[in-house]
Amino acid sequence: MKQKRRRLSLRNSLLTKYFLIVLSAMLILPIGFPAILVVMTLQAHGGDRLADGVYNSSALEKMWHAEAAKLADASPESVDEALRRLKEQYPKAAMFWVDQTGATRLKLPQTLELPSEWSVPYTIQFMKEASSGSGNYSVVAFLGDQPETGSFMTLQIPRSEMPKAGSPFNARSTAILYSSLLAVLGLFLFISLLFFYRIRKRLVRLETAMTTPAETGIPSPVAAQRLDEIGRLEHAFNDMIAKLERSREREAQEEALRRDLIAKLSHDLRTPLTAIRGHAFGLQQEALSEKGRESLALIDRKIDSLGRLIDNLFSFTLLASGQYPYKPQRVDIVRMARTQLAGWYPAFEQEGFEIDSDLPEEAVYWEVDTQWLERVLDNYLQNVLRHAKSGRCVALRVFAEAGGRIVVADRGPGMNAESMEKGAGIGLSIAALMLKDMKLRSVVRSGPLGTEVHISRL
Amino acid sequence: MARRVLYIEDDADIGKWVKEDLERRGYEVDWLVSGEEAAARVAQADLVVLDVMLPGLDGFTVGRRLKKEAPNVPILMLSARTAVDDKLQGLQFADDYLTKPFHPDELAARLEVLQRRAGLSSGEPLVCAHLLIHPEQQRVVDSRTGEEISLTAKQLQILFYFLRNRGQILTKEQIYEAVWGEPYMDGDKTVNVHIRYLRERIELDPSDPRIIETIRGIGYRVRP
Repeated sequence: MKQKRRRLSLRNSLLTKYFLIVLSAMLILPIGFPAILVVMTLQAHGGDRLADGVYNSSALEKMWHAEAAKLADASPESVDEALRRLKEQYPKAAMFWVDQTGATRLKLPQTLELPSEWSVPYTIQFMKEASSGSGNYSVVAFLGDQPETGSFMTLQIPRSEMPKAGSPFNARSTAILYSSLLAVLGLFLFISLLFFYRIRKRLVRLETAMTTPAETGIPSPVAAQRLDEIGRLEHAFNDMIAKLERSREREAQEEALRRDLIAKLSHDLRTPLTAIRGHAFGLQQEALSEKGRESLALIDRKIDSLGRLIDNLFSFTLLASGQYPYKPQRVDIVRMARTQLAGWYPAFEQEGFEIDSDLPEEAVYWEVDTQWLERVLDNYLQNVLRHAKSGRCVALRVFAEAGGRIVVADRGPGMNAESMEKGAGIGLSIAALMLKDMKLRSVVRSGPLGTEVHISRL
Repeated sequence: MARRVLYIEDDADIGKWVKEDLERRGYEVDWLVSGEEAAARVAQADLVVLDVMLPGLDGFTVGRRLKKEAPNVPILMLSARTAVDDKLQGLQFADDYLTKPFHPDELAARLEVLQRRAGLSSGEPLVCAHLLIHPEQQRVVDSRTGEEISLTAKQLQILFYFLRNRGQILTKEQIYEAVWGEPYMDGDKTVNVHIRYLRERIELDPSDPRIIETIRGIGYRVRP
């Protein structure tokens, strides 16, 4: 048979997908982390404010010194004016300026607690506090940006509005940084989980398809959409199903053929046998010697036994190959035995047998195929009729005790005696096979005074 | 009156022999080697003997066709096949079944039984010991006195069931289910009681029955 081979391209491979995911994860860490840092730093130096009104210290310092430089020879009024304008721009900041005499001039807001005259110790104390990082964040610039002018202006901003010391970013930006990192990591986890989840889902689907057989006992094919490894597995699975289906069909065909052959063969063997019987019967009508009549009687008996042999042979063939139809049902064996004996009664009566039946009044049920059990009993009764004529007695008994028991008994010479015609063996083999399949067993007790066959459940 | 048998058999040897044998026994035999024309001829026949393995049309197909054409004509199947399913399929329309190689006496005996069964509806009176039975009028007459014996409907049904199956031993289950038309219940004594009453009507000495024979532990029989 032609084998369809699908070439696995690199583009369709699961391995490629997996490499892409891992590679992107490996790139995100060394590239993504600095990228975030760069973006945040750029933002930090882009203006005097960071996100959410947080002030950028270096930008503020630059701005304050530039403003102070502009006020080199300004009048006190224009310095006041400049501060007021700046206050509007930086509403959260406190501002004041001190002239060359050491007197505090404009305070914005007015509530600022400052001495009106700046002594040298106070000035030193103030500068110390401003640079220590405790208290407010302060920027001090000399007017005109020249220390010689002696007057200076100060900008104060609460520490909470400023980024943490030692970092260009405040707490918020750090949180953003970490959460972006977490998000990137989460994304990677999610994508790889999705990747494996989808593989798993497809595998489970395949497993379900494999373990759920259709009516025929063979699983149904699955829908294979993709061309990756699992897709190829699905295709291979479908190919296998198709092959199984084909072989099952072939098997069924062969089975039907064999049955047909057996039926035809049986016909072809029996038809000439019937013709022989016809001619033998025709001969009987002619004037014959005693010897001739004896021969004809023998021919007649042999025709019967050959007919039975053919029947048994084909039954055995069917039975051994499991093609003999078996339909078990709940059967009352008492009733069945009675009907069976009623059918056999005239035959035994004609041969002068004493017929003994011992059947209980109540029903006894077995789960068997009636036809099979009838055939088994037929076989035993037939044997009694043929081989136990000398005893002139047949008994069919059914006992209800211990799940039920059927007994066929005779007073013949026993099974080892020479009266056994050839062909009885296969009949007993059929009975044994049928009993086994019906989960029954037979025990044969045979002696010179008779034979008893006990059939009971296993 | 010669009884006409429509005999369908493809084997020339067997066909010739059976035809001659049945003719010797007083039958009129119409022998066909294939089933094609059978349906047209069945109307003139009293009995059909049909071989299963026919060339052309399958024996079962022919059988079903004949039964449809003439439902009252009994069919006896002759078969060389033994597979069980054949038996079941055949018995759906066939009235009896005989496997090859059959004995001519057995074939004749089976045909007698089929005829008798069919005869129950043909109107000819039957004789059974001192009884003269008119199946059509459902009447039983004492042939010695000419007096009618009155029987109940169930008693008549039982008697006719025996007559249809003369020579066969019938179990109480079979009788109950055939006459009452429902499944036999375990331990039911109805059949025994009815047969006792029936014997009181028809037997000369009900304590020593001669018509309906008791087969101990098995059932009853009316001998042919």
